[in-house]
Amino acid sequence: MRNAAPRGLDSLGLKPLHMLLPLCALMAPLSAAVSCELNYPTADVARLFPGSTGFKTIYFSFANRGGAPALRKVEARLGGFPALYAPLDVPYVVYEIYKGNEKIGYIHGVNQKGQFGVLEVFVSLDLEGRVKAFYLQRVAGQWANKFTARKFGTQFVGLTLKDFAQYNLLTAKGSGKVAAIANPVPEAVTDFLGILRAIEKNLILMDEFFYSAAKTKP
Amino acid sequence: MISKFQIATKNLLRKKSRTLLTLVGIVLSSWVLVSLLGFNRGYEKALNRDIDNMGYQIMVMAKGCPYEAATMMLQGGAGLRYIEENVVKSIETKPEVDKVTPILMQAFFDPNKGDGGGIAGYFGIDIATFPEMKPFLRFHKGSWFRDEAAAEAVMGYEAAELEQREVGDMILVPEKNVQLRVVGILERTGTQDDGTIFVPLRTLQRIAGLDKITTIGIKVKKDADITKLETALYQLPDMQVVSFSQVKMTIMKLIATARVMVLSIAVIALLIAMVGVVNTVLMSVMERKHEIGILKTMGAMPGDIFRLVWTETLILCATGGIAGIGLALVFARLSDLLVRRVLPYAPGGELVAIDGRLSLLTLLIIVIVGLLSGMYPAWKAGRVRPLDSIRGER
Repeated sequence: MRNAAPRGLDSLGLKPLHMLLPLCALMAPLSAAVSCELNYPTADVARLFPGSTGFKTIYFSFANRGGAPALRKVEARLGGFPALYAPLDVPYVVYEIYKGNEKIGYIHGVNQKGQFGVLEVFVSLDLEGRVKAFYLQRVAGQWANKFTARKFGTQFVGLTLKDFAQYNLLTAKGSGKVAAIANPVPEAVTDFLGILRAIEKNLILMDEFFYSAAKTKP
Repeated sequence: MISKFQIATKNLLRKKSRTLLTLVGIVLSSWVLVSLLGFNRGYEKALNRDIDNMGYQIMVMAKGCPYEAATMMLQGGAGLRYIEENVVKSIETKPEVDKVTPILMQAFFDPNKGDGGGIAGYFGIDIATFPEMKPFLRFHKGSWFRDEAAAEAVMGYEAAELEQREVGDMILVPEKNVQLRVVGILERTGTQDDGTIFVPLRTLQRIAGLDKITTIGIKVKKDADITKLETALYQLPDMQVVSFSQVKMTIMKLIATARVMVLSIAVIALLIAMVGVVNTVLMSVMERKHEIGILKTMGAMPGDIFRLVWTETLILCATGGIAGIGLALVFARLSDLLVRRVLPYAPGGELVAIDGRLSLLTLLIIVIVGLLSGMYPAWKAGRVRPLDSIRGER
């Protein structure tokens, strides 16, 4: 079976229109700066924050919250390593969690470099900044299910930013609650430390933009 | 000595509200006109750029493949159909063909991508021919693969950003658990290449466990007869030919109706604005009959009066035109966004392209149409009989 010969503009019918669909998809430019959002916010919020009745999504970036000085401050708190790819424009997403009209906490996620790809790490936090739940939305590697397992995630429950002060993420040495967290895949140290670093980044960002900001409000 | 322009300006300022309303009409019509002309030019330019950025003018694939290419993202490429690699050789020999590149598109299911998993797509390319097709691709860091079977990958800027990859990092092909080293990250292009992961063709064939390809990209020689080549390619058994010139024509046809409608609106807006100009100037002439009569008794010739009234029209149109063009320039990005929302397909880049030449052309149109509209009131003013007008005042 053969196709008909190519036809001119006047006789363009349905076929070229169908042909356009994949081409439009192929040619469509992609959006800029990458944020870290929950894939299914309604279901994920209910799962990560049992007892919640609603949430509000807040977007912010360093570009509109303090600019380069704020970014440098956060990078310094993280150990001085600059973030990859246009860090000023990266939109961060915070889900403010409500029970009725009362705010009961937050869910916040960050992207972190992992061994074979990005790690999308979310934590739900109470109003004091204590981790209530851990959720690894994305991780690449054959060991991924070990990191997404409930057993691994529950080790983070109860952590606060203060707990990271006793642990050095660069040398992987220290004491306290963070040092007690077990790596389920010894050969995936990059991903394990990446997850710890993502949690610390998460807590620092939340402290910088929400908890400390709330304390300084008159 | 007071100039004609000063007198005309003073006359217009006598009735500020009327002049302002007339100006608003001209501003809006010139805004619409310049934006539309900018869209006419910008859309075609952006579409051409998108198509040029594909690197080839014709794509050949197994029949039914375009549909499967669209659904590849959903079904993991399970339904993809393949072409034997020797088809590339047979196409290469055609006299119209400049360059040919074989491509293998593959998608693998990644169970760890989001809840329930997702699809990771890879583009297997021939290192000897593909970069030649896209000489405009520039590297943000790194370079192309070392050889055609290397376990390496080149990532589009946004793919690298999304996966937080740098040159030297590893990526893992899901399902197959094959590791690839990132050797290059491309600069942002504003096209689908930004989100693509390129892998050497042989490497991807080895990973996928096949020796076939999905697509052939064809670059046609300059001045060659594309239609003749398309006709020849359609004779290949079970092949689908996608010509980007046809695609472009189809897209242009899709938006042609919208363009005609908007152009009509712009013309109507321009006509309404000009009726407003005629009305304003004519009313002003009627109200000043007495003054015009006195000017004539003092020696002003009909030509002088004509030029004086015409200058008022010129001031109105030039001011309104410049303000409208200025607004169009300021809000060009907003117009761009609005246009994108209503079009069936919007290419990347600037859709409403307004430059100095276009602005001058629009201003010229507004001023010429305005001056033509202002001829009647000016002629009417020039024909005022001094004695009649002075008597009429009593």
